[in-house]
Amino acid sequence: MSITAETAKAHAHDPAVLCCRAEAGITIEPANLEDPAIFDDLVDSGLLSLDGCLTIEEVLGAKLTKTCDSLCPLTADVLDGVKAPSAPAEEEEEAAPEAPAAPAPVAPAAPAAGGVLKIHIGEGKDIDLEIPVGALGAGGAAAVPVPAGAEVAAGAAAPAAEAGEEKVVRSLTRKHFNITEVKRGPETKIEGTTLYIREGIEQEVIDNQELVKDFHLEIITPDKYHTYSETIMDVQPIATKEGDADLGTGVTRVLDGVVMMLTGTDEGGVQIGEFGSSEGYLDENIMWNRPSCPDKGEIFIKGNIVIQEKTNMERRGPMAAHTAFDVITQEIREVMKELDESLVVDTEELKQVRRPGKKKVVIVKEIMGQGAMHDNFILPVEPVGILGARANVDLGNVPVCVSPLEVLDGCIHALTCIGPASKEMSRHYWREPLVLEALHDPEVDLCGVVFVGSPQINAEKFYVSKRVGHTVEMMDVDGAFVTTEGFGNNHIDFASHIEQIGMRGVPVVGMSYCAVQGALVVGNKYMTYMVDNNKSESGIENEVLGCNTLCEEDAIRALAMLKTAMAGEEVKAAEKKWNPNVKSTNVELIEAAYGKKVELVENEQSLPMSQKRKEKYD
Amino acid sequence: MNNERLHYGDKIIYMEGVVVDVDDCSISVDLKGRLGFFKAPKRMFICDTEPKVGQEIGWNMSFPEQLGPEINDKYVSNIEKERRKQEEMRTRLDNKEV
Repeated sequence: MSITAETAKAHAHDPAVLCCRAEAGITIEPANLEDPAIFDDLVDSGLLSLDGCLTIEEVLGAKLTKTCDSLCPLTADVLDGVKAPSAPAEEEEEAAPEAPAAPAPVAPAAPAAGGVLKIHIGEGKDIDLEIPVGALGAGGAAAVPVPAGAEVAAGAAAPAAEAGEEKVVRSLTRKHFNITEVKRGPETKIEGTTLYIREGIEQEVIDNQELVKDFHLEIITPDKYHTYSETIMDVQPIATKEGDADLGTGVTRVLDGVVMMLTGTDEGGVQIGEFGSSEGYLDENIMWNRPSCPDKGEIFIKGNIVIQEKTNMERRGPMAAHTAFDVITQEIREVMKELDESLVVDTEELKQVRRPGKKKVVIVKEIMGQGAMHDNFILPVEPVGILGARANVDLGNVPVCVSPLEVLDGCIHALTCIGPASKEMSRHYWREPLVLEALHDPEVDLCGVVFVGSPQINAEKFYVSKRVGHTVEMMDVDGAFVTTEGFGNNHIDFASHIEQIGMRGVPVVGMSYCAVQGALVVGNKYMTYMVDNNKSESGIENEVLGCNTLCEEDAIRALAMLKTAMAGEEVKAAEKKWNPNVKSTNVELIEAAYGKKVELVENEQSLPMSQKRKEKYD
Repeated sequence: MNNERLHYGDKIIYMEGVVVDVDDCSISVDLKGRLGFFKAPKRMFICDTEPKVGQEIGWNMSFPEQLGPEINDKYVSNIEKERRKQEEMRTRLDNKEV
């Protein structure tokens, strides 16, 4: 396929290959050339050799001296009037669009606290910029590869005075209550650090929903971790609001050391929304301490719900299971509301801070909306509750704006999709690492979080992503994150969200599990800043719960990348095939720039595994 | 990477099938030419319009190859547990219906 003049300009330094047969005597134009994007595949498969091939900028306007077939690399011996190559400097120049317009004398750039270091490189040669990383504070992670040949036309730093004072918009207090033992008793209550769950509560769970036919409650203490379990549908914190406070404000009480865990089948014993092979021993199937998972040492209140036969694949099945299970959580919440303050072991204050003058960023989180358990309840009354929430699918998957504190206060009750390793369960949002990192980073101004569903049909996908584009446009942000869980057709809207935001001139960092199996199905020119959430050794969606979800280390990388992008610096393109070294190199760069160690989480290799499985799997 | 263990992994074949069932979670497909059946999560299908029974779909695939003769006991045990549980629950359900 031939290329346009615009593509030719963008690929000026890429190889020039004829897209179709060309007669001797013609002058080479963009229309004669093939799109360089496809060359990697052709070279890999041996169909194309680029040895001695000239670049696009060299051949444009030259005269072909010999008739050549399609996919023929253009070399000097078939052309007349080849231009001299220029240094590949354009990209870097374009990469600083926010530079001050009026050139000023060269001044020492002084990045005062909160200031923005702006360097404009117009034209010139032989300059080396050496900026001690410490001087940039926790600035860009990737060093700027300044082209050999450029002259600093202007270097000025924004005065610190521009940056306003930090403003606390609202705050949320989390009061932690410690639980060390969970028992059954005649009534639901908390005595000291012991939680009692009423015997016979099972019947109320069953009666709550017509579709629920049976229910069993199990208390899993650490000594019972090596227990066989059905597929884990969700992991939820146990939390409640104090008084009439809305989510994301006021005081939330939360139980430490214990989580709710939901599993379920239909009456025929078929797992709810299940596609096989993720049941097994808990300790072999849970990636401990992931944001969405239980932490090692916690007690699980594990409910196994049996729903009406064959409703396991219908939307109402998983919804009934989640709604009925909340009966128990709600009863615990009621008890928590009455707890004496003296039992509070820790009080944590989360502040929603706005930082006027700093780079304004938004987080767009794509959540599943294809139906059934590909759904999420948004904004319940209680943290990760059911009552008052609206299903994302019923809302039409359109963008819903929430405050970062609403996210951290459990505004998403996730029905969670299939892929165990990459799904974000309800607890994930409760401790969403990217929201926490961005909120606490003094260099950025996080203005909010946008949730957008991922519908099944492409037409609807583009419908919602256009809404995302306009929503972000109205926010006047300097940068955006787009994250998604898992992979599959949601990568189509993921790419579209990035395009919609990117085409408005806003740098976007995309975050998803990709690696080997989740390789992106589509791409566009705005998808230049990507962070892969993969942690598994061989880059696959394995059977370990939460293994490939967004963790703190990914949030740190994404933030560093967005800052780099917002500063107009170049981020190198990744290799065509997944290479885990890209991540480790970036982590090293960040560690060097920030001067602090980035703790990397463990992967499935840390879990108990028979030798046989180890050899076979990963 | 695991795909290096495949001997014929580069033999990519274009396949077609017919949608035979659509539920809220999944789409079921009969492969044309009586070549089998598969069911996969909706998320893994790319649809321009609403998926419906009778629609034809296409995809590229290769031959599934055995990775080796070893049997993974963990999976055998899981399958066995699953089968026993389903049998029990089925019996209970049938008794209830009688």
